[in-house]
Amino acid sequence: MSSDDLILNLSTDLAPVRRRRMPREAALLIALGAAELALLVGAGLMRPDMGRMIASPYMVWKLGSLAVLALIGGTVAIRSFSPTTRPLRGLTLALAAAVAAMIAGPFMTPGGEAGLTILERLAPAHGLVCATSIIVLSLPIMALLGMLMRRGAPAHPRQSALAAGLAAGTCGAFVFAFCCPVNDPLYVIVWYCAGCATVAATARWLLPRRFRL
Amino acid sequence: MRFISKPSPDASRHGYERPSLAMAPDEWGRLMVAAQDGHGAAYRRLLSEIARWLTRYFDRRLPHGEVDDAVQETLLAVHRRRHTYDPRLPLGPWLAAIAKRKWIDQLRILGRAPTEALSDDLPGDLSAGDHETSVVSASVLASLLAELRPAQARTIMLVKVQGYSIEEASRETGLSVPAVKMNIHRGLARLTAFIEKTHDVE
Repeated sequence: MSSDDLILNLSTDLAPVRRRRMPREAALLIALGAAELALLVGAGLMRPDMGRMIASPYMVWKLGSLAVLALIGGTVAIRSFSPTTRPLRGLTLALAAAVAAMIAGPFMTPGGEAGLTILERLAPAHGLVCATSIIVLSLPIMALLGMLMRRGAPAHPRQSALAAGLAAGTCGAFVFAFCCPVNDPLYVIVWYCAGCATVAATARWLLPRRFRL
Repeated sequence: MRFISKPSPDASRHGYERPSLAMAPDEWGRLMVAAQDGHGAAYRRLLSEIARWLTRYFDRRLPHGEVDDAVQETLLAVHRRRHTYDPRLPLGPWLAAIAKRKWIDQLRILGRAPTEALSDDLPGDLSAGDHETSVVSASVLASLLAELRPAQARTIMLVKVQGYSIEEASRETGLSVPAVKMNIHRGLARLTAFIEKTHDVE
């Protein structure tokens, strides 16, 4: 088929399209995260001492860091679904923010872990449950971002997928942080990172598959 | 990093003018807005103008035989993704980003495609003409080959741009047939990675 024939085919019986709007996509993402949080709170899974802990430096660090990372990840991902945006700078910013949050973590110790070994502080059995919970909570958000990515026009699909995974992982971790009863920054850094990294790697591998601009 | 290739003295004779998105980007934007609203005639005019620009764009970046495929693939991508164009912005950068992605995709396809002799079955005059056109037209691609190892650049230039068979390239370079194939595969992978990382390749 010649290009002229193709143009004729494409322009015949042309249907109007609904323009892509980033604020609408951001609102969808926030609404899904809020729905997950409401579901967990409604099911009575929020940690019982949240009222007392919410203003503590540890909780401000934990929730604040995850909120900032989710905000950066979500913004980078949604912006990158436009062909003119390169996500690499945003991903670097997200990585820098994550490192800064990890460095600040040890200064936010609420106490109680003195005298415990590293292994006791990490509590691997409990930690695996936390990481798995983060992954499960991230899946609907990853699915939504995957759908938005396929509807968009990312010119760097692998980087966009990584940004989507990072956003999904940190959103899931943010929601889970309201339920997690552990008050140890080391535990949070290790197991939350494990959950988020798993989600990001899965998205990076899964979302660009069979994607065609 | 930016690559400015030296204009060929034959460029004007062959009609290879430098692609420019400065040609009425607002007009293109207006046409795309009309197309988003379902106006077929405006869309037809826009795609025709875009096709001409894309032909010049890919002429300088791909071997001659790949240009038509790349143009049509890009037109299809523009059609599928037309809802992502933001009317507040000029259409040029949006189109250039899609064209660049399709350039990378086409180079990847080129790396996977079986390498056959292009000129064996062609009459002598036609073969020589195509050969010359290929070398002249893929000037950006040729300048980018400088980023590769000499053996990779030479095998890609011989087989993918100039149309040599693998065996001919093997004889020409003194490399074994598997080594020629490996150099082409690795060289094109490295080239696409470089183009992806580089903001503006011209």
